[in-house]
Amino acid sequence: MQPQQKSQSIRPFKQRKSLATRKEEVAGIRAKFPSKIPVIVERYQKEKYLPPLDKTKFLVPQELTMTQFLTIIRSRMVLTATEAFYLLVNNKSLASMSVTMAEIYRDYKDEDGFVYMTYASQEMFGCPLLVANPELQRSFGPGSCKHLQPTSG
Amino acid sequence: MDAATLTYDTLRFAEFEDFPETTEPVWILGRKYTIFTEKEEILSDVTSRLWFTYRKNFPAIGGTGPTSDTGWGCMLRCGQMIFAQALVCRHLGRDWRWKRGRRQMDSYFRVLNAFTDKKDSWYSIHQIAQMGVGEGKSIGQWYGPNTVAQVLKKLRVTSIEIFSWIHNSDHGMSESSVQAAWASMLLRKLAVFDTWSSLAVHIAMDNTVVMEEIRRLCKANSARPDAAAFPPDSELLSNGYPTGAEVTDQLSQWKPLVLLIPLRLGLTDINEAYTETLKHCFMMPQSLGVIGGKPNSAHYFIGYVGEELIYLDPHTTQPAVELAEGGAFPDETFHCQHPPCRMNIGELDPSIAVGFFCKTEEDFSDWCQQVKKLSRIPGALPMFELVERQPSHFSCPDVLNLSLDSSDVERLERFFDSEDEDFEILSL
Repeated sequence: MQPQQKSQSIRPFKQRKSLATRKEEVAGIRAKFPSKIPVIVERYQKEKYLPPLDKTKFLVPQELTMTQFLTIIRSRMVLTATEAFYLLVNNKSLASMSVTMAEIYRDYKDEDGFVYMTYASQEMFGCPLLVANPELQRSFGPGSCKHLQPTSG
Repeated sequence: MDAATLTYDTLRFAEFEDFPETTEPVWILGRKYTIFTEKEEILSDVTSRLWFTYRKNFPAIGGTGPTSDTGWGCMLRCGQMIFAQALVCRHLGRDWRWKRGRRQMDSYFRVLNAFTDKKDSWYSIHQIAQMGVGEGKSIGQWYGPNTVAQVLKKLRVTSIEIFSWIHNSDHGMSESSVQAAWASMLLRKLAVFDTWSSLAVHIAMDNTVVMEEIRRLCKANSARPDAAAFPPDSELLSNGYPTGAEVTDQLSQWKPLVLLIPLRLGLTDINEAYTETLKHCFMMPQSLGVIGGKPNSAHYFIGYVGEELIYLDPHTTQPAVELAEGGAFPDETFHCQHPPCRMNIGELDPSIAVGFFCKTEEDFSDWCQQVKKLSRIPGALPMFELVERQPSHFSCPDVLNLSLDSSDVERLERFFDSEDEDFEILSL
């Protein structure tokens, strides 16, 4: 398949590198930048609406708040203020927006020394049974059909 | 088409079962009930909520679009339900009850009429689907909780906003033609938008509720210019302008607040650290419930018992009902008269929007107090944060200096000269 290279690059960071390599990387970068926090920011694998980021690894000042960090990432993606955007720490928690990166690091850092964050918008809701019925899809007109796919949650 | 929907609906109908025999309290939108002694009251409370389901055979959306929302409208219906609950609290009160066959007051029909399936009802599926186009959703596309919240907010346009639209569109007109244009546009806009409820709708993004923002919104001194812009003549009255009592209401210091908080409480599953906090939302007297669902199926959650969420399900296709002005008309299909559906809280899709209604400033202050207490529940993770004012840099990313200082670049290059992917260094 042609997009082999592409799918390679979107494999999660943890799967791309061994624990030892990641540990080494953190040790090296922490030695160079002791006051900065190494953060991995990845797009949720099933995300369909938010664009990919061109960078995965960030070195963030420890006094930066989540609000500020979120604002940076939001502006990179050129999102409007009304678009849903969530940064989940360790794939599960919405960090409080007023905490600093140092606090996030203290509470959530991985065994490899990185903090992992995943970004996602919200799921959309509708009935996937419709996909089985092309008659119905047609009745909604062009443009709407391509989104009537099961989100396979 | 019917074959597909019937199968689905039939499956759904098999799920109804009575409440479990349990000593655990049942919470419905801020009210606590005991199953053993208050079953009737619970069912009456649930039945009184406006229940919006898939409908078929309504006037085509946009004139040529779908005439049924089966399969795609479930989140739009849930949005209607949570917003209708706000209007019920606003105009009828939380204690109001619907009873089959009992004559209801006019304001009830007015609320119901705001959601009926025709193009000029304020919050009809037609209005929501068409306003959604501006949010990047073509008609018939699926919505998320935030999408429908944003659309409902746009549909609730205050009269002051209409005033400013008109004001801004009068360039080059003479005084009298401006006035004539005003009058005709006013009448058109008033018919299309809900100026009757004078609600402030706030959607708290980034899981943060900023108190100052809400106070500014609700106390915005729009009441006076409104009153000046809309002299209460009889023609306006019949087109949605508030009647005498409500004018006074509108002049008061606080616009009733609908607060919607879209959240994502996990990636594929809800993080169970949030379940206690979520339950507490249904215990607050200001609760409007939660819109969300199971993967693919949107539900309107109105309460919980034990580890189960109680919800109204839009996944039943009913024929569209045409509501006549005044008199008796069939409103029974807008009330769920069987025991409500329940599901385990762990099955909840993590994408939700939590809703609250604060009619007065005291209600809002009380809500803030309760949210602050929530953060002290051991083992419960707050779902959102309540802050007094906008954290700095929140709305102006330019303030942040994102450029690398030269020493950073140098050090980074030395470190990563053979690396495939670099770090991006952020500096303050």
